[in-house]
Amino acid sequence: MSIQIRLSTTLRDLVPGYDPENGLVFELKEGESSLAARDVARRMGIPPEEITIVMINSRQSDLDGTVNDGDRVAFFPPVGGG
Amino acid sequence: MSAFPGRERLLTMLAPFSQGTAAHPAVSFAGIRFLAKELQLPERDVMTALLRQDIWPLRLVRGRGAFSGEDIARLMELRILMAGCGGLGGMTAELLARMGAGHLVLCDPDVFEESNLNRQCFCTEKTLGLPKAEACRSGLLDIAPYMDIEALPVALDEKNLPGLLERADVVIDCLDSVAKKKMLEKAAWTAGVPCVHGAVSRSEGFTMFDSGIPLPCALLYPEEGEQAADHAPMDAHALTVAGTSCLMVSLLMRRIRGHRSGDGRLFHIDLSIPELEALAFRSDSAARDTSF
Repeated sequence: MSIQIRLSTTLRDLVPGYDPENGLVFELKEGESSLAARDVARRMGIPPEEITIVMINSRQSDLDGTVNDGDRVAFFPPVGGG
Repeated sequence: MSAFPGRERLLTMLAPFSQGTAAHPAVSFAGIRFLAKELQLPERDVMTALLRQDIWPLRLVRGRGAFSGEDIARLMELRILMAGCGGLGGMTAELLARMGAGHLVLCDPDVFEESNLNRQCFCTEKTLGLPKAEACRSGLLDIAPYMDIEALPVALDEKNLPGLLERADVVIDCLDSVAKKKMLEKAAWTAGVPCVHGAVSRSEGFTMFDSGIPLPCALLYPEEGEQAADHAPMDAHALTVAGTSCLMVSLLMRRIRGHRSGDGRLFHIDLSIPELEALAFRSDSAARDTSF
C-alpha cells in the first residue's frame, strides 16, 4: 500500500537526502487505501502551504485531492523564473 | 516593386550564389542581397518568397530535413512579442533567430548584471550594465541582420500591453514572476493573441501553449496570495534555460505546422534526472481557436 512521491525544486530541501531520480515511496497506514494530498504532505514533513501545484498521476489536482494506493503524486512550489 | 520571378528564372539569376542540386538549391546571403537589390525588396521578403518556392537561404538550409520551406516562411512572417530578455527570453530569441524568425519586439526593463552570466544568452562581460533589450537586439542582428527587431527597455504592464499585443501574432512569456505572467496571459487572452509560456526554477522548467486551455497560469496559481511568494529571484542555470527555451520554440513550431497534440498540456522538464513529462490541466479545453 504505497504512493510514489516526486518533489520539485525548493520542496526537495525539506526532505534531507531526497533523490530526484527515485523520488520517495510513501507507505499508507494499515487499513488506509486513500488519503488527501494535504495529509500525505504533512506526514512527509512538508508544510502544505509550501505546495502550490499538485499533480496526481500527471493530472492537475489540489491539496484536497484524493490519493489512492499506487498513485504517483508530484508536489510543486511556484515555478516562475525567467 | 517588381513581380517576384518564378522558380526557373530565380535559379538562373541565383546560379552564381547557389549550392546544392537543382532540386534542392540553397542560396548564400550574397545571393539574397543581390536579389533584394534587383527586386527592390527587403531581404526578409526575398527569403520568404524563396522559401515558398523551396529555394532555401543557405543560412537556414540545415533545417530543411525537419521543416518545410512554408513552415519557415510562416515563422519569418510572424510578429513575435518577446516578454522578457533575460534567461529564457535571450535564449528563446536566439533560437527563433536561428530558426528563421523575421520580426521581434523585445521588452525588458532591466540591465545585465554579473549574476546573469551563468545563463543569459547575450550577457557577456562586455554587455554588463547595458539594457537587456538593446544588447539582445544587437546580438540577434549579428546572427541575422535582416531581422526587424524593436528593443523596448520597458516593463510590460496593463497600460502598454494592449498596444503591443495589437501588432503581435504571438507572445512569448519569458517574464520572471508568477504575478507578471498572470497579468500578461490575461492581456493576451483579451487581445486574442496566443501565448507560449515558459518558467524555470533550479533544474526544472515549465512550458505550455495557451491554445486549448484558457489562462493556464491562473489555473496553476489560482490564489492571489501566491504572487507575493515569488518576489525573490529564482535560481536557474544554463541547462534549465536552454532546455526550457527549446521546448517553448518547439511548441511554437508545432503550432506553425498545424500540429496541436501538445496544446493544452503543461510540459515539465527536470534536467537533474533528466526527465520530460506532459501534465494535464484540470480544466476542460477552451473553445477559442488561437490560430495565427
